[in-house]
This record gives sequence, C-alpha cells and structure tokens, in this order.
Amino acid sequence: MTGYLVSRVVRWSTGLLLVSFISYAMMFYGAGDPILRMFMDQQGGSIALDEQALTAIRAKYGLDKPFPQQYANYITNFFQGDFGISIREKRPVLDMVLFKLPISLQIGFAATVFSILIGIPLGIIASLNHNRWLDRFIVSSVVFVNAIPIFVTGPILLLLLVVTLGVMKVPYGWKGLFDSQIILPMIVLAMAPLPTLVRQTRGAMLEVMGEDYIRTARAKGLRERTVIVRHMLRPVMTPVVTSAGLILIGLVNGALFVEAIFSIPGFGQMTLQGIQQVDFPVIMATVMIGTLIVMVGNLLIDLIYPLLDPRITK
Amino acid sequence: MQLEAGSSVRTRTLWEDAWNRFWKNKLAVIGGVVIILFFLIALVGPFLAPYDFREQDIGNQFQGPTANHWFGTDALGRDIYSRLIYGARTAAIVAIVSTTISLLIGIAVGAAAGYARGRADELLMWLTDVVMSVPGLLLAMMINAAVKRPILARLDEIYQATKNPFFLNTLWLDFALLFGILALISWPGLARLVRGQVLSIGRTTYVESARAIGASPLRILSRHVVPNALGPLLVAVSAGMGGAIVAESALSWIGIGIPPPNASWGIMLRDSLQLWRSYPHLLIAPSVAIGLMSVAFTFFGDGLNDALNPRLQQK
Repeated sequence: MTGYLVSRVVRWSTGLLLVSFISYAMMFYGAGDPILRMFMDQQGGSIALDEQALTAIRAKYGLDKPFPQQYANYITNFFQGDFGISIREKRPVLDMVLFKLPISLQIGFAATVFSILIGIPLGIIASLNHNRWLDRFIVSSVVFVNAIPIFVTGPILLLLLVVTLGVMKVPYGWKGLFDSQIILPMIVLAMAPLPTLVRQTRGAMLEVMGEDYIRTARAKGLRERTVIVRHMLRPVMTPVVTSAGLILIGLVNGALFVEAIFSIPGFGQMTLQGIQQVDFPVIMATVMIGTLIVMVGNLLIDLIYPLLDPRITK
Repeated sequence: MQLEAGSSVRTRTLWEDAWNRFWKNKLAVIGGVVIILFFLIALVGPFLAPYDFREQDIGNQFQGPTANHWFGTDALGRDIYSRLIYGARTAAIVAIVSTTISLLIGIAVGAAAGYARGRADELLMWLTDVVMSVPGLLLAMMINAAVKRPILARLDEIYQATKNPFFLNTLWLDFALLFGILALISWPGLARLVRGQVLSIGRTTYVESARAIGASPLRILSRHVVPNALGPLLVAVSAGMGGAIVAESALSWIGIGIPPPNASWGIMLRDSLQLWRSYPHLLIAPSVAIGLMSVAFTFFGDGLNDALNPRLQQK
C-alpha cells in the first residue's frame, strides 16, 4: 500500500515540475522584460530609464542570470514559500495568495457541498425512474444548465433576483463564509460540477441496478431503501469520486468567472488580473497553485479509490 | 425460429439496427436536425444575411427587434441577426477544426498507449494526466500571454522590414491560437477514452479468437475494434464540438478568443454583458445560440451512443 502511495506522489510531483518548467520557459521567453514592465505607467507606456539603472536593477533581481539558473532559483524559492514579488502590486505574491486563496477555497467548498447534496440525490432519483418522465426531465434540465455558459447564468440570476423579484441586493465583495451574501455566487459556481455529478451518479446506478447481488438483496426481502443505501451506493461512489478531478477543474475554472461577476477578491480574480497585467510572478504562482490543487485532488482520489473498491490492489 | 437455406428473412447489419434505434430517440433526432441546420447556416448563411457583420449604423444603436433588424442592433448599430449568422460560421469553423486536431492527437496517443502497454503506456498516461491537471482557462491564458506577443512582435518586425501589407493581417494568429488552445485542453480526455476502448476491446474473447485464427491486426481493427469503440468516441466528439463552442465564448469573454470586430457568439456575449440590463436583447440572442448548439450536440451524441451501444433497458 505504501509503495502505491509513494508511486502516486512521485508521479504527481514530477508532473507538477514539468508544468512549472514549461510555464516558466513560456513566461521567460514570451512575456517580455519584467523590468520594463515594472516601470510602465498605468496606460502601458514606458518611462525612460538609462541602461545602467536597468542593468543594475536586473542584477539586483537576479534577472541577468541564464535561464536554467533562474528557473532553479524560482523552484527552490517556490517550495520554501517565496513566490516572488508582484510586478504590478509591488508586494510579495505569497501575501496575495494567502489572502485570496482561502476566499476561493471557501466558496469552492460551499459550492461542492451544495452540488453534492443536490446532485447525487438527483442522479439516484433519475436512475430509479429510468426513461420515465422524471428521468428525462432531470437529465434535460442538467444538460441545459451545462449548456449555458456560467458567465451568462450569473448575470441572469442576478437580474432575476435583484431587479425583477427584488429578493436581494447585489452581492459585492466578500463578507465571510457564513454571510448570506455567499448564496448566489455559491449557487452559480455549483452549476459547474452539478451536471457531471448527476450524470455520473445516474450512469453508475443504472450499471449497478442490473447486478446479481442487487437482485439477491431484494430477493432476501430487504427494504428498497436498505438495498440502495447499503449495497448500491458504494459501487456507485467509485465513478463519482473518479470524476472529482474533473469537478475540481470545473470549480477552478468557474471560480474565475464567478469572482469576476460578483467582484469577489479571490484567487480567480488574482489569476485574471495577473494575465491582464502580464504580471510574471503572479501568473507563475496562479498556474502552479491551480495545477497543484487539481493534482492534490487527484492524489486524494488515488488514495481513496482502493478504499472504495478493494479489488484495486495494484 | 429456423432459417432454412434460401429463406427470405433478411439479416440486419449493425448500422441498420443503430439507425432504427436512433430514430426512436426524439431528442437526439431533433438535435441532429439542429446540427444540420447549424452547418447549413454556417455554410451559406453569410451569403444570404441582410447586412455585413461589420456594417455599422450609429444612428440606430441599441434598437430592439424591428422590421429592418429582426433581432435588433448592438452598440455600434450592427444588425444582430446578421452577426448571429456570421457567428455561426465562426462557431462551426472553431468546432470542427479544434475537435479534429484534438481527435488526431487523442487517438494517436490513446491508441499507442493502449496497444503498446507497459512503459510506453505509463509514460503517455502520465503526460496525459499532467496536461489534464492544468485548469483549461489558466492554460489558455498562459499560452496566449506567452506565445502571442513574441509572434506579433516578429510579424511587426517583418512588416517594418518589408512593408508588405500581408504581414499586417494578424487575425489568422488569433484563430490559430484559439484552435491550438482548444485542442490542447480537450485531447487528454479523448486519449484516455481511446486507450480505454483499445484495452477493453483487446481483451474480449472474440478479439482473442480472431487473433487465434490468424486474423491480421488490420482486420481485427476494422471489424472489431472500430465498431465497438465508435459509440463512446462519437459521444465524445459530439460533446467536444458543443464544448468547443462554449469554450470559445468563455475565452472571448476574457478577451483571448476571437477579437472584435469579428462576429463570434462569444464576442457578442462579451459586448452584451456590460449593457444587458438596459438592452436585454443583446444578451438573449448569443446565449440562446450557444446554449441551443451545446444542448443539440449533447443530445445528438447521447442518441448516437445509445443507438450504437444500447444499454439493457430496465423493466
């Protein structure tokens, strides 16, 4: 078991290193001179500086060293928690991350819980009514939700609830996990993983329903509820958990839009601004951390998978 | 039921069976019709559209649906109906090209991994997982930031040197980047799918038997692997096309997709999201278009899969 664990960790770590290398190389050769960028004014025009000053500044930040050395420096710093200094905001990227990432994690967590509480029961109900009206309705609704881009459902829901129905005021900014203001962003973000959850659960239930051991359980006279909860849910959880990687990716992507629409100062907003301002350290940090989140999630799945399905021994 | 020599019972092929099953699925058929209409509009629509997608009419901004402009006008007085039609062409091109590229990469990697097994398989799957782990939007933004600028700078240099106006037109770069990014995001999923199919079909007894009696790999591939793998693959391709259209809208919304003033549904959506509270018709047209195509592709793909690989119906 530990051999399996170690091999998975090694696998994902080397993957992360590969991502870091390619990202760094792309930014290094493609994103332009960060020093010039640092002295740009707000409109993007550059302020004249003599070459000597520029060279001195470059040396100070270690930017005159060759690429492999800069990359090595970056990686060693990264794993000690030093993500560099944001070119635009002129403060450590780590500070920005420590402030913004927890916000996104909280919204993401809330959205995931919400999505699971709604999605899995819906999937089960749909499968139990296979091909009847309820099943088709649930599947169709879920497909529709998936089809409309997330940055369209957000404003539409906003319009409905704020302007038309007057149920709430426009959510703006971040007031904490337990403020009622989080409800709308959470629901909009939950729309990302919801279709995947419903379809996976429904598909898995349909596969399991025809199995012999289920028929045996029913023949033994067990109540339908017991059959579902005790015998069907566990094999159904396997493909659902496996799709958690996809769900995580959907959340990371979706958070970008949700935070932009609702003006939430989170990790997604930081990513967007980093790209728009071509802020090299911020871009690197967001790509690394975003990938890290998904990889950690996948690693956890790799670890949970044998617990769910003991047949997996390798 | 006994079949005697010369009896008149006609056997049905897999394709005829599938066709019959497909027809019974109303949603899938509707989806298929919508898709055909979509490609037709993409092909000939721009020749029949009342206005050019760039044609501005500042005096008539923000109009609702009128006789002259069936879906109204946008901020620059451009006819939304015509822009929708041109947008269909853009969407079709994006969907087809990016899905084709990701299909080529995905099949190559997946088939190689499934066939080779062992070390090669592990290496390819590792690579696939790594690419899949980078959130698509981040990948898109990073590639855009890192690749576009140097190429644009290069083109500018060449233009300054040669003064050849050919190098002024950089729209192809936006399209190429978009195709590349969309393909890059979606090929891992296809690769995994293909690999899974190759592995599972390769293990079946009928393939084993075919190999045992000396069937060539080509025959095994065409007679056994392809027909069985086709179902999930077609679902993935169909969903992929719908996904490409939605992804293009997302990328254009951020600003790294198709640039204005070109007509794409994503650009129309982005333009509308500033002002839709005052002019909701700006938002409705592109979102209905995008939503409709995504739904159509999904149902069509599902229908195809059910037709080719019917699951046992319950009760």
